[in-house]
Amino acid sequence: MAQMDEVRARLRDHSPKLLGRSNVVATGVGYKVTAGKRTKELSVACSVAQKVPLESLAVRDRVPQEIDGVPTDVIQTGVIRALATRTERQRPAPGGVSIGHRDITAGTLGCLVRKNGQVMILSNNHVLANSNDAQVGDPILQPGPIDGGKLPADLIAELQQFVPISFGEPPSDCKFASGMIALFNAGCRAIGSRTRYRIYRIEAADNLVDAAIAHPLKAADVSNDILDIGRIAGLGRGELGTPLQKSGRTTGLTRDEITQVAVTVNVSYGSGREARFTDQLMAGAMSQGGDSGSAVLDGDKRLVGLLFAGSDNSTIINRIEHVFSALGLSL
Amino acid sequence: MKRWVAAILLCLAAGDLLANGDRMPLTIEQVKASHERELLAQPGVVSVGIGRDDQGRPAIVVGLDKPHPQTQAALPRVLDGYAVRTEIVGTIRAR
Repeated sequence: MAQMDEVRARLRDHSPKLLGRSNVVATGVGYKVTAGKRTKELSVACSVAQKVPLESLAVRDRVPQEIDGVPTDVIQTGVIRALATRTERQRPAPGGVSIGHRDITAGTLGCLVRKNGQVMILSNNHVLANSNDAQVGDPILQPGPIDGGKLPADLIAELQQFVPISFGEPPSDCKFASGMIALFNAGCRAIGSRTRYRIYRIEAADNLVDAAIAHPLKAADVSNDILDIGRIAGLGRGELGTPLQKSGRTTGLTRDEITQVAVTVNVSYGSGREARFTDQLMAGAMSQGGDSGSAVLDGDKRLVGLLFAGSDNSTIINRIEHVFSALGLSL
Repeated sequence: MKRWVAAILLCLAAGDLLANGDRMPLTIEQVKASHERELLAQPGVVSVGIGRDDQGRPAIVVGLDKPHPQTQAALPRVLDGYAVRTEIVGTIRAR
């Protein structure tokens, strides 16, 4: 049997020639596999994109049975690609990668949905529409600006529609209002009227979703896959204890379960802005900043929600039924 | 005529039943909905939802941004028969 030094020497001498054969994508030293079992015999391993019958190959493209007494082995590995990370530019771009409106940092491309038969990218309002501060048609970049996304090279879509977020006033006791009211009421008492004035703080309406859609400029630039999960199997409904999985820009594939339903929650949007959301789903720690917009699927890969907020130990998710009805979407 | 009297009596009975909730047990969703504004008005409360208690029974879960001993002491332990539990969920931010 050939020794390691001998096999390495053959590999060094013959690797360039082997890699020149049309089908070979990698060479190395490995134990020869015979009849599906790994033997103890060292070989020059040739990885090919696809195994084909010897006869169909031109003689110059065939991998010889042995090279100067060292056996070869042909292994089908497929085409080898660099593993693109979630914060890099990807075309087609699958769910789970960085995306964002021109004026934000970055969020996550959730998944593809349909509106009036057209394919749309689904994510959050605060990812695709800069928390209401955007115009329909604004450029959407993949990757998002903080990940190096630039115009015009990384333009992938245009903002199509968003559900405006209703922000509440930060709670404050208005001294001026209190003073005015005291004055009015003193006046009422003075004239013997039984009318009294009271202060009302204008309360913001409750929100159901932080959602927006963007129209991809080219259909070939987006993919129906979600990184590390695959295809969506349909629509589901989240209940207490439903197992969840999501694929996001920052924390990748994570799993947890629904710990609370019917959640009413105050969410901070920075710069003192706060919005109240009702009928939300809560899960444990399964997200970080940049994961906003991730599609949330159950254990059977049914779409149940859209991730948009969280803390160190919780994640807040819009129900997908509210997202779809607010924007008129289908899968 | 008798039919009209019967119909009116039935309507009155139905109205009475709706007005007096104690005759129909409220669902945890109804109890949560009717109390959540006052719960969210307490200092430090950031969320109110439906989860489970230690025994796995449905419970109203009040989320706090950080420990607030006064709020925690002031919150009811039970609302209309449903357990109320607090949890430190932290400040919730858009991600």
